[in-house]
Order: sequence, then C-alpha cells, then structure tokens
Amino acid sequence: MTDAVFTPRIDAPSFGERLADALLSGRGIWPAVPAIIVLMVVAVIPFVILLSLGFSDIEIARGDIVSQTFSLEHLTKALTDPLYWITFQRSLSLAMSTTVLCVLFGYPVAYLFLTGGKWTKRLILILTIAPLLTSGIVRTYAWLVILGGRGVVNQTLMGLGLIDQPLRIMNTHWAVLIGMVQIHLPVMILPLIAVMSRHDRQIVEAAENLGASRLGTLRTVILPLSVPGIGTGAALVFTLSYTTFVVPQLLGGGNYLNAATMIYEQVVFSLEWSKGSVSSLLLMVSCLVVLVAIALITNRFTRWTKGREA
Amino acid sequence: MMQGPTGPLRDIATTVPVLGIGAVSKRFGATTVLDNCSLDIAEGEIVTLLGPSGCGKTTLLRCIAGFWDADGGSISIDGQDMAPVPVNRRPVGVVFQSYALFPHMTVAQNVGYALRMAGRPKAEAAKTVASALETVSLSGFEDRYPAQLSGGQQQRVAIARVLVMEPRVLLLDEPFNALDAKLRATMQVELRQLIKTLGLTSIFVTHDQEEALTMSDRIAVMRAGRIEQVAGPDEIFDRPATAYVADFIGTSNFWDAEAAGGSVALPDGQCAKTELVGRVRVMARPHNLRLGPPGNGVWTGTVAFHRNIGPLIEYHVETASGDTIQVAAMRQDRARPIADRAAVSIVVIDPAGCSIFPAP
Repeated sequence: MTDAVFTPRIDAPSFGERLADALLSGRGIWPAVPAIIVLMVVAVIPFVILLSLGFSDIEIARGDIVSQTFSLEHLTKALTDPLYWITFQRSLSLAMSTTVLCVLFGYPVAYLFLTGGKWTKRLILILTIAPLLTSGIVRTYAWLVILGGRGVVNQTLMGLGLIDQPLRIMNTHWAVLIGMVQIHLPVMILPLIAVMSRHDRQIVEAAENLGASRLGTLRTVILPLSVPGIGTGAALVFTLSYTTFVVPQLLGGGNYLNAATMIYEQVVFSLEWSKGSVSSLLLMVSCLVVLVAIALITNRFTRWTKGREA
Repeated sequence: MMQGPTGPLRDIATTVPVLGIGAVSKRFGATTVLDNCSLDIAEGEIVTLLGPSGCGKTTLLRCIAGFWDADGGSISIDGQDMAPVPVNRRPVGVVFQSYALFPHMTVAQNVGYALRMAGRPKAEAAKTVASALETVSLSGFEDRYPAQLSGGQQQRVAIARVLVMEPRVLLLDEPFNALDAKLRATMQVELRQLIKTLGLTSIFVTHDQEEALTMSDRIAVMRAGRIEQVAGPDEIFDRPATAYVADFIGTSNFWDAEAAGGSVALPDGQCAKTELVGRVRVMARPHNLRLGPPGNGVWTGTVAFHRNIGPLIEYHVETASGDTIQVAAMRQDRARPIADRAAVSIVVIDPAGCSIFPAP
C-alpha cells in the first residue's frame, strides 16, 4: 500500500471551475445577472414592442395584431394635433407645480428634522414613511372623503359659517394638485433628509460661531449643501407626477385629461395601440428632457463636489 | 504683531481677566457634567483643559462658545457677562476638532465668511482674507475647495477663518486629533508660535498630555467635571497637586508608605520631607530614579524588560515586594543597556523630587 501524496495542482482551472469560482466569489458582472434578466423581460422587451407599435400601422382583430406595416403617420399626427400639445402642457404644468410645492412644503420639514431633537426626528420619519405603507389609490380615495361636497373641508367651513354653499373642490384642477402634492411629498422629504444629515453638525455651529444668524446659516450653508437632495427629490417627484394616472383619474373625476389618462383612453377604450404607443414615447422623451434639465441645474449649484476627484 | 486692546480698554484688561469662568456648572438630566468650575485667563495666555474623555472639558468649551448655556455660574469676557450674548455675537473663535470647513466654499470664501456675515465691504474683506492666508502660509490656495487640501492645510484654513474675526478668545477643540503623529508635533510648535505672535488669549482642549505640555502657559487638569489643578506645565509635572494629576501626566511610580515626624522613609533608605502623617502614597518619576549594581542598595529587584524610547531607555524593574518600578536612563554612546533578568538596585536621585499624597 502506498501513501497518498498531496501534490498541488499546477494546471490551469477548467472553464467550469472558473465559472463556479466567479459565481461564488461575486466577481465581475455575475452578481448582476438576475437583475439584468429581469430588466430585459420587464423593461427592454416592452420598450422594443412600444417602439415597433408606435412606428407602424396595425390591424387588430379579437385583441390580436393581425397585420403590421411601418409608418410614421401616428408620430406626425400626434405632433401636429393641438389636443396633444394641450394635454402634454397640462401634464407638464401639473408636474412642475407639484414639484415646486413639494420642495416648498418638504424643505421646512427636512430642516426641522435636521435641527430637531431625537423625538422630533422620530416623529417626522414616522409621519413621512407611514403614508408610503398604504397604496396610492387608498390615499387618493381618502381625499374624496376630505374634499367632497359633504367632505370634512366643506362641513367645517359651513359649520363655521364661512360659506353657505359647499365649495366645488372635487373634480377640479385644485383637487388633483392637492392630491398630487400629498402623495409625492415623502419622495421629496426622504432624499432631503438623507443629504442634509450627511453633513457634520459642527458645520452649522461653525457658521453661527463666525457670526451668522439662523437665517444666514440657512441661506449660506444649509441650503447650498442640500441642493443635491433638492435635485434628487425634484427629479423623483417630477417623474412620478408627470406620468401619474391614479390621482388625476380619481380626483379629476374622469374628465381631467393629462398624458397618462389620455394614453389610458387610447389603449383601453379606443383600442388605438399605435396612438397610445406614440403618446407613451413622447411622454418618456419629454420626461427625460426635463430630468436632464434638473440634473444640469443641480450640477451648476454643486460644482464644489467635483473637487473631490481632483 | 500684538493685538491687545488699546486705549481705555487696556486699563480694564490689566485688572479684569480676558476670560472669567466663575463657578460654572452644567447638568444633563441627572448627570453633572461640570461642577463648580472656576478659571481666570489673562491677556495672551494659552490655557489647556486636559483630561480623559467625559471629564467635561469639551462641555466647558461649548459653554464658553455659547453653543450650550451653563446651568450655574458665570462666563465673562473683558468683564462683560456672556449669558445674554447669543452664540453669533460672542467675540469667541472656535477651531473645531473636525475643522468644520464649509465644503461648498473655496478657501478664500471660507476664510472670508465671518467678514461677509458682518457685512464688511468686499474690497476690505479681500485684503483681510489675503493677509490671514499669508499668516498661515496658505497664499495661492484661495480657489481650492476644502476637499482638495491635506489635513494640515485644512487645519490652517480653519485657523485663518477664525483669525479674520479678531476674536478676544480663541477656543481649540482637540485640533490635532485628525493629524498624523509627525505632522502633529510640527503643527503644535507652529500653532503655539502663531498664537503667541498674535497675542491671542486661547483655550485648548485635549486629552493628550504631551500636547498640553507643549502648547500651554498653564494647564487645567479636569476630572469628572471638576478642575483638579491649574498650574504651569513644569509645576504640573514636577509638583502635581493630587495623585490623580500625577498619574494622568507623565509616567509615575506609586507606592504606599508610613509618614511620621515630618518625613517619610523611601525604600532605598533615604528620607523625604512631608507635613503629612500616617499612611501616604509616594510618587517618583522614572527619571528621578537610577539603577545600580545589586549589592549597592537595599531596594533591589530584577529587570523584567527594557524599552528603547529614543534618547531614553525605560527599564521595568520587578522589586522584591512585587511592585513594578519604571526607571528611565539616558542612552549612553556605545554602552550596552542592562540586560533583562539582571539583578539591580534602585536609588532615588533627589528625595525632594518625590511627591507625597495622602493615602486614598
């Protein structure tokens, strides 16, 4: 009987061994493979379908496409149709006013979080995150109860004798705007808090020590340092509210036409899939343009962060 | 350039301390962080608050700066009570531990911040900023951002930033913590010289005794919210008021003894004078002891190990009674250090240099 002698291997590992090693060690792109597959299925493939539908004439029979030919007709029609321009303009102004209002309402909350004590911080976090735990549809329905003809607002105002007739808030632009701001406010506050608490608390004390008032500290130190947070929050709120469907549909009373509700009508009611695809593509492209603008403006005010690389 | 007060103010300054801390107390809930602290600081003096973390030194600094209000006692600058003066109106400049530079401002904007907040004309402010940057040898760095500077440069920006506001009192909160050991030693000397040239009345906070001995005119050793001793570096080191101070500053050897008739017997047979009677603790610094051949004395032991610290050799000697005594000897050219495990005797060089405290 001979003793087993351990000899170290000096030959190169096989492909299988290298693959197993790469998978287990998490090197290279392997860890991202599941995510890439999911993205291909839920984002890239539908996008390709959207493109092909938008640039073709199709015939639909019993819910299936029976013929498809290339055409730019839907795109040119859309771009020359005044209804499209009005609808997109409405979407844009709604999303922009929502974004601006979210900054105006969200910033003081984030500032309070920064300067407040332990319990203030906890309360703000709970109040900001709690609404995210319920569906947007449920939160939107809640506004029906508040803003309706016999809702809380009208009952209170009439009870106080301030008005005789209930105000018509529901199914107006105002109802949509109020709902939009409330639904999207957490998405603005959370990035603001994240960015503002990243900086050393002593920076604020240094400003005060150097003679800055509360307002001076806010204006010269806290505000400039929170620009990245405002940028991130604004980009998120804009994207979500520009493409939103639920809030305008429910609080606008079904006749509030923005880009998303228009696409819904085109696809679901008129079965004009090509039209709907072109509208979706236009919505996507115009949204990207605004996002790039937000990024450029944010960069303009955060040049100092580039210094880190130098 | 001396920056002391001129005219009628100077007369006040000669009689009133620049900074007066009178019986200041501070509590957080049930914890007393500062307990009856009193300290007067004269024009141009550098005083260090020295103590372990949690001794209240940073709390005292924050009370002087106005970030926190004291619960009792008074803080005054040039005789004026600071209690009603808000943090942004106090003539106090703080150099923070983290420097707390404004990351979104250039070096020039950082340094000019106090002038901008005070609403000074831009041209005048630019001149002041340039001269402050020259003072800290940072001319040419005006347009850099803090993230583009080294730790030492950031510290100098932080100093220049408070210099432009011409504070009556300069507060420095562990300013060397973020620097590596070699740079730290250089910056300590440079900063002391700079402060002395400008004649700024300053308070340093540190837990590093070497830093305190290097930087200060006087050291206030703090312990659990109280000031244990205030004295110059030499006196603190050579004549510590309490065993705590002796233990905290420098290396010390302690042993218990019995005092009677105005003196206490030392283990090597000599006597040290004391007014205490009964059980006492005796302290001797390692450099006040020397080693001799074993037959020469009554205080004997063996060398456990020795440690090479530059110009000194530090011997750890285990005595017959079981104590470990540290003895420092100057390194001598070509002479070999005493070998480990060698039998030796210990002799006190100067009995009057021993400190004697009441036994705890």
